[in-house]
Amino acid sequence: MIAPSTNRTITYTTDASQQQDYAALVEKHGSPLLVYSADILKRQYQSLNNALPDVDIYYAVKAHPNAAIINTIDELGGGFDIASAGEMDLLLEQKISGRRTIHTHPIKKDQEIRDALRFGATTFVVDNIDELKKLIPYKSRVGILLRLSFRSKNAKIDLSKKFGCDLLEAEEITLEAEKLGLHIKGFSFHVGSQCESPSKHVEAIEACHQLMLKLNNILKQPLSTLDIGGGFPADYSLSGFDIDAFCQPINDALQKLPRDWHLLAEPGRYLVAPSVTSITTISGKSLRHGIRWYYLDDGVYGSYSGQIFDHTNYPLQIPRTGETYPSIIAGPTCDSIDIVAEDIALPELQIGDLIIGLQMGAYTAATKTRFNSLPDAKFISI
Amino acid sequence: MSKFFKETLYDAVCQEFRVDKMYFENKTDHQHLMIFHNAQLGRVMTLDGVVQTTEADEFIYHEMMAHVPILAHGKAKRVLIIGGGDGGMLREVVKHRVEHVTQVEIDQAVVDMAKEYLPRHSNGAYDDPRLNLVIADGMDFVKSHAEHCINHEDEKFDIIISDSTDPIGPGEVLFSDNFYALAKNCLHDDGIMTTQNGVPFFQKDEIQNTYQRMGTQFSDIGFYVAPVPTYYGGFMTFAWGTNSKARDIKRASLRERFNAAKLGTRYYNPDIHKAAFALPQYIINAIDEVRSE
Repeated sequence: MIAPSTNRTITYTTDASQQQDYAALVEKHGSPLLVYSADILKRQYQSLNNALPDVDIYYAVKAHPNAAIINTIDELGGGFDIASAGEMDLLLEQKISGRRTIHTHPIKKDQEIRDALRFGATTFVVDNIDELKKLIPYKSRVGILLRLSFRSKNAKIDLSKKFGCDLLEAEEITLEAEKLGLHIKGFSFHVGSQCESPSKHVEAIEACHQLMLKLNNILKQPLSTLDIGGGFPADYSLSGFDIDAFCQPINDALQKLPRDWHLLAEPGRYLVAPSVTSITTISGKSLRHGIRWYYLDDGVYGSYSGQIFDHTNYPLQIPRTGETYPSIIAGPTCDSIDIVAEDIALPELQIGDLIIGLQMGAYTAATKTRFNSLPDAKFISI
Repeated sequence: MSKFFKETLYDAVCQEFRVDKMYFENKTDHQHLMIFHNAQLGRVMTLDGVVQTTEADEFIYHEMMAHVPILAHGKAKRVLIIGGGDGGMLREVVKHRVEHVTQVEIDQAVVDMAKEYLPRHSNGAYDDPRLNLVIADGMDFVKSHAEHCINHEDEKFDIIISDSTDPIGPGEVLFSDNFYALAKNCLHDDGIMTTQNGVPFFQKDEIQNTYQRMGTQFSDIGFYVAPVPTYYGGFMTFAWGTNSKARDIKRASLRERFNAAKLGTRYYNPDIHKAAFALPQYIINAIDEVRSE
């Protein structure tokens, strides 16, 4: 039974075998847990790969910087979108060559550029002249992507507000780059994260296509790379998201580009969200002012941090059915902001019950804090 | 483990080597070091995605960097090698009748690893009784040795060879103004300093920087070249700095010295020595760009 609330999907189940599986994991590894399935990540990767067959996938490491996940992407032959020295170190530990990465942070210190080059990343992203000029000392080594901004009303998270130049600026910067002896090899954009529709992707691809063709008539070195960013949504409503249908218009737009252009994407959320499941335990309960409060051993300062930073309410799976009461599920810290779900109707739950968070692979553990010095949820692979 | 090594120097081009057998791979202190076998090149050592040395072509690099300054000098007694942990430079230096060699390597592990996995590079040279192996930062060494030499003129060197990694990476400090200045203070007045200086076809800025920085220390600053196949991009340059006239040595004198030294070289000979100072115009142009500034 699925009971969609206004902004969160809650499932009530008494499926005994599933309950036993979760209980067995907690018995073995403790609680709270983040349970990773490489098979699900592989399935997501293949689905996206099939939906966008001409696009090289660079996993956005920031979504979940984790060795097991990186190893799965490595096994699949994917690339990596990195933005910091810490992410490079993580890849280095897994012996991933910098050749398989693109450095996508639009703003970098000189030392960060040098560290990235030393690591072996040679593709850099800029969105303004000052940033472009930082690459002059390394011009014989680097390939530059110019990031354009396409504001999206229907993305949950607008990634074109903080970074990206407009079409006019893009033209100026590209021509200025040629004067400086720097080669801009193509454009990139991020229409946003968790996009509801692909229309902004299509608009951005078409706009980049036109501008690149126009500039290629003038430039000595052609623009030939287009990085379409991310934005491919996770199925937080559990309503059966169709990646093929979502990507069809994007693919159609890409088919119109010259066949020798290089196409890249930087998905994070779509790939890893469903591959990680959170298991938390109700460690206490109380009835206060007629509302049932349940206190978990993980919360918004831990695995559920994405509810704050990523504005995402994860689907929850509740292990009981029956008559429901106004309830609140809270995290373990002493802070009153640490509420996982409120204004929800739940059956009477018991201490020791396991609350399952679904679609919890992206921007969850990535943004956890050390608040209250509570231990992290243990990450396990199944 | 990857079955291919792709060099990561340039975005638009890269050379790729098949990894036929991995002998050694580790990453410590943000470094990624590999030694593997390749059917064409023998053992190959890479650091941070860049080829450092291969058994097949290392002789070109090591012979040119050691024999050119030592034979041009003619009576070198004391030689300083900065870096060169693989031992190839030391092997070539100890072929000469020098009295003393100091080698400064930042990491003992590199020496140990090279002795084990690249034994043909040092070929026993690390056991030479003339060697003083110092495990230290090259910059720290030249700083303290330059001070020491103020009162110990006899401990200055005749030849300094900087066999470093690239300027983006751990060798960065060995391309600084300060390093060249301190190194010069470790050299006798007629001493010669040589440094590896990259492949200017792709890395024009490296010769320009060196020309400007090293040029303030020496009356004769310049470059000589040799093509090392696995340093992709044509000629490799070696920087040459001295306050002597050693560059102008007569071919006949070189030949005498070369014959007497019995080096058993495969690349170096006196004709190559003289010819190596003839620079292609693109390198001269690159130097001219900064000379006029």
